[in-house]
Amino acid sequence: MVLSPTYEFHRAVGIPRSVAIEYPYGRPVGQVGDKEGQREVLLKVLSHLEKAEKPGKVLHLSFVWPEDPKKTAWQPPEMSPLIKFYLEEIKAARQRTSEKEKGR
Amino acid sequence: MAEEEKVVDGFRFLPQGLKAWVRTFIPEEDFKGYIPWTPLPKPLSQTTLAIVTSAGISLRSDPPFDMEREKKDPLWGDRSFRAIPRQTTEQEINVNHLHINTRYIKEDMNVIFPMVRMAEFEAEGIIGRLAPTAFSFYGFQWQNTDFLKEAVDPISRRMTTEGVEAVLLTPA
Repeated sequence: MVLSPTYEFHRAVGIPRSVAIEYPYGRPVGQVGDKEGQREVLLKVLSHLEKAEKPGKVLHLSFVWPEDPKKTAWQPPEMSPLIKFYLEEIKAARQRTSEKEKGR
Repeated sequence: MAEEEKVVDGFRFLPQGLKAWVRTFIPEEDFKGYIPWTPLPKPLSQTTLAIVTSAGISLRSDPPFDMEREKKDPLWGDRSFRAIPRQTTEQEINVNHLHINTRYIKEDMNVIFPMVRMAEFEAEGIIGRLAPTAFSFYGFQWQNTDFLKEAVDPISRRMTTEGVEAVLLTPA
């Protein structure tokens, strides 16, 4: 079973049991030192292990991360080699998305 | 709020450019291929569970995951894995990952590698047993299937010897 911050990847690979959580990358179980919060998340995850009845089922958790995404500092201190490598493609993808949104 | 009322936005924490780019890899429709399925054979309170993470965690006594080669070869990711005994603490681990901020895991590994929380659940009878060994690999595997043979196969074999019946995987 996967506890995933980007559950949408299950559409690319197929995952028997997924639990989706809107938490920043690197901290899918919860905040540093928040024992009770971590327990709540994990108890939901474990319940899915018992209750899921068919492959591909995604359980969406309702927990809300207390910080704005821009303030979570989940990204590495230095841009990753992959992002550097594909930076122009990434910029182009953003440009295409912006143009699509303007066209709506 | 009931779980059914919320649909998680898996792109919420990505900057706009990365969000647009990552979306190019993800189909709009649900997966249509075969998805393996093993029903849980017994109640959770009798089940042996193992933890696996792609967070690049290694014991300080083991070699760290190779970040230097990836810096030179951006499409290469270390395909090895590390076994981590269940009683391991933050003081005994390294965390190496070029795609996330590893600071939080070093402060409290339970944020992605919840060994202490699962040991509590074991003591409380919520799960049957936490497996003696957890595993970490390195979460950047770019369009790479060799990883399945080099890491997933040996991890699976070791889990079998430890009687593991369910696995929690936490991607970084």
